[in-house]
Amino acid sequence: MRTLPRLVITFATGMAAILSLVTTSHAEPLRVPVLVPITGFLSLEGTSQKNGAELALVGTDVSFSVIDTATAPEIAINAFERAVDASDVVSVIAPMLGTQMLALVPLADEFGIPLITVSGTAKITELGSPNVYRFFPGDAVVKAAQARYAVEELDASRPAIISQTTAYGQSGRAALEANLRRIGTPPVFQESMDVSVKDMLPVLLKVRDSGADALLLQLHSGPTALVIRHAKALGLDIPIIAGSAMHQPETAALLEPAELKGVCAESGSSPVSETSEEMQAFVDAYRRSFDREPDAFALGQYDGAQMILAAIAAGAQTADAVRSHLQTARHEGLAMTYKSDGKGNMAHSAVIICYDGTGRVPQIVKRYENLTGVLLD
Amino acid sequence: MNARTSMSVAGGAALTIYALFFASSYDQRILTLSGIYVILVLGYQFIFGHAGALSLAQGAFFGVGAYTTGILGSKFGADFLLTFPLSIVVAATLAALVSLPVLRLKTHYFALATLALSQLLLLVAINWEPVTGGANGLPGVPPVTILDWKLTRGLPLLTFVWAIVGMAMVIAHMQMRAGRVAAFTVMRETPLAAPSFGIDSGMLRLRAFLLSAAFGGAAGALFVHTNRVVSPETLGFGVMITCLTMTVVGGRFGILGAVIGALLLTHLPEWFRGFDEYYLVAVGILLLAAVVFAPEGIVALIAPAKAPHENDKPSLHTQSKRASATKPSRLALEAIDLAKSYGGVRALDGVTLSFGPGEIVGVIGPNGAGKTTLANVLTGLTPVDQGTIRLGGRDITNTPAHIIARMGLARTFQTPQLPNALTVRDLVETTQRAHGMSPAADEALDLLTIRSIADARCDTLPHGLRRQVEIARAIATNPGILVLDEPAAGLSPDEQDEIAAICISLSASGMAILLIDHNIEFLSPCVSRLICMEAGRVIADGASDETLTNPDVRNAYFGVISS
Repeated sequence: MRTLPRLVITFATGMAAILSLVTTSHAEPLRVPVLVPITGFLSLEGTSQKNGAELALVGTDVSFSVIDTATAPEIAINAFERAVDASDVVSVIAPMLGTQMLALVPLADEFGIPLITVSGTAKITELGSPNVYRFFPGDAVVKAAQARYAVEELDASRPAIISQTTAYGQSGRAALEANLRRIGTPPVFQESMDVSVKDMLPVLLKVRDSGADALLLQLHSGPTALVIRHAKALGLDIPIIAGSAMHQPETAALLEPAELKGVCAESGSSPVSETSEEMQAFVDAYRRSFDREPDAFALGQYDGAQMILAAIAAGAQTADAVRSHLQTARHEGLAMTYKSDGKGNMAHSAVIICYDGTGRVPQIVKRYENLTGVLLD
Repeated sequence: MNARTSMSVAGGAALTIYALFFASSYDQRILTLSGIYVILVLGYQFIFGHAGALSLAQGAFFGVGAYTTGILGSKFGADFLLTFPLSIVVAATLAALVSLPVLRLKTHYFALATLALSQLLLLVAINWEPVTGGANGLPGVPPVTILDWKLTRGLPLLTFVWAIVGMAMVIAHMQMRAGRVAAFTVMRETPLAAPSFGIDSGMLRLRAFLLSAAFGGAAGALFVHTNRVVSPETLGFGVMITCLTMTVVGGRFGILGAVIGALLLTHLPEWFRGFDEYYLVAVGILLLAAVVFAPEGIVALIAPAKAPHENDKPSLHTQSKRASATKPSRLALEAIDLAKSYGGVRALDGVTLSFGPGEIVGVIGPNGAGKTTLANVLTGLTPVDQGTIRLGGRDITNTPAHIIARMGLARTFQTPQLPNALTVRDLVETTQRAHGMSPAADEALDLLTIRSIADARCDTLPHGLRRQVEIARAIATNPGILVLDEPAAGLSPDEQDEIAAICISLSASGMAILLIDHNIEFLSPCVSRLICMEAGRVIADGASDETLTNPDVRNAYFGVISS
């Protein structure tokens, strides 16, 4: 009998704790939750995503909250379920990590909520989902630009590829190789490496020994900088055409201008390199708000969020209506013109940027417009 | 109903009401994940908690289960009734395959080996793209489907997962019945001595490792059904760290600890998401506080294990009347030409001796003479380089210690090897169980007149009683041979007399005793023969007086130079 009071107290305490956790729903404005990786190895890119979305959504009638998805799929699912627990969610800004997107797509289909992302992983738009919308050129676009620039502009005939063993790396490497083969210059050397690798000399020595005349990278930010630094130290005198990580100001900041000389990279855009009035306004607003330089991920996410706002402005008040707008409308964004190819690939253009060795702001040296032909429709 | 049980019942009822009537879809998902982690942690408790081995492979077994279900489910649309058992079997089979090389390792070597296994599997998952989907993983894993019944997300999946959690709890409870928990405790706290008590440490570790893998595989399978995608993250070190943290924070032992750890660690990051990028700092601070203020786990804080009774600290001389002797099997031990070297040091050098039922043979010698090495090789704890040992006529040279113990050779140690967490009765009965005997500690405790401390925890006992408990444990299995290594060390004269009397009593019942000690005054009244060792060799073997007057003995042992 002595245990009875303890039992009652424990039970009551538990119930009180439970009741305190119970959430209630209220009538709210339309919601666009922002689910991005702001911790973990993609925090740099995820923060750009967050900033881009915030810049677009702050000051509008749309309600949004930012939820970290870190880097594991189940955390992204948790975030999604938490976000859509509320009513009036018309779209979700979704993480750029491919494995997280692959986990979210079935849920988005189940809930009927469109996902807006800047993930480059090719597979996410190959699942047949009507709810994935990518506002950054996918591998099919940017890897075509990267391969073509190396071969057509730099006359590379023996390219080498170094990629990451992540989803981003594997997906991009496959697209890069396919594009190189398509234009008749298959890679003479390929190697993938873990993001934790810090000593790049062994792989660079293999590149040198392969007789490669151009080095194409598909690496995250830190490894990109390390490869470039070690290549310069090794005296590897061949052109380097990096992946989109190189266009990020944070990546350039890891290197001296002299180390950057001659380095090029593909990207969806390069806000800091553009001179148009609209883009300058975006760059200035971004700097004011976040005290950092905007990159293509931030701009892509900004454009994506702007398209949702355009849909709402056009009368879309439900997720179905927003989806319908995304599927059919053409959106003139800051970076480029967006239109779905029927699979959710909204971006079809890419740029090549290069550094001249005098600073960390690159120049756009080549634009590849409408590589998929979708914008002609 | 004790505190732990009442806490479990109340918590379980509260959680059920919460899940059924208050939880949103999101809350139900977090509870579902918590249930999956409960299974993972229950499994990890076997190897990390009970066996005391820092395995870093639990995440790998989780991932193997996840990939088994993920591949079969996404590529072949296989039914849950096939994928779930297969996920468990594949994980357990992997554990069985690696156990041979890995389980032989101890401490950090074991941890590193299991970590290497995890990393190897992660590399396979990332690079075997056609099968595993590479770094992207495999999307499109179907929900739990049993025949034609498809389980939807939310309450149905939550209920199903927690039903499996319930089954896992029952299995864990059955596996860790009181006797086996005690055997694990002995193995964990006195790992070097445990085999001498008949405990097959290798088999216990194997059992724990396989169980941990099976539970890990089951958790992985459910995890994939819950997330509908399998990716290399399931094999990543993050899962292992999560599991380890849940186990440490919740508690290394018991179902309640697993539930608390899993519930807390799954919910905590979600509660603090509002702190944006600083939420991990908040989670880290709370976890640090949990480890600092509840080093044995939160479960020990809110529902402490049974404490020893107030009268559990008796003195040596509060005992009742000594009971009659045990009924030992009659055995003789024979050692022929034993040699053992440690590097350049010859610890045993051609030692030959024998003794039989009813004999008490004393062994003396200066420090480093090889006395303890002799005890270790006779009992199988240390393999010999050369020579033969026979027990009851059977060759037991280099036979595993637990088998020798079960054949009837018991021993005590120079420093009593008593696990702190066990009571005297549990300790004695654990040894009896390891010998295949029915647990019945009273007779042995009566013989040593220490029955009054049967329910005292070993860590509460004074030195003299610890010696007696060791002897009680040794004789509780009715051994034919008893090897006592310095039983009088650190005892008062009265206590030494008690031990000597016990030895005489035991030998009178037919037990053969090898009594290793420095103390001639303790040995002389009770031994029938006295052996003196020096530098690994027997330099005298005869009646007490003969040995003590032997010039070589006097020279080596007493420092007397004979003319």
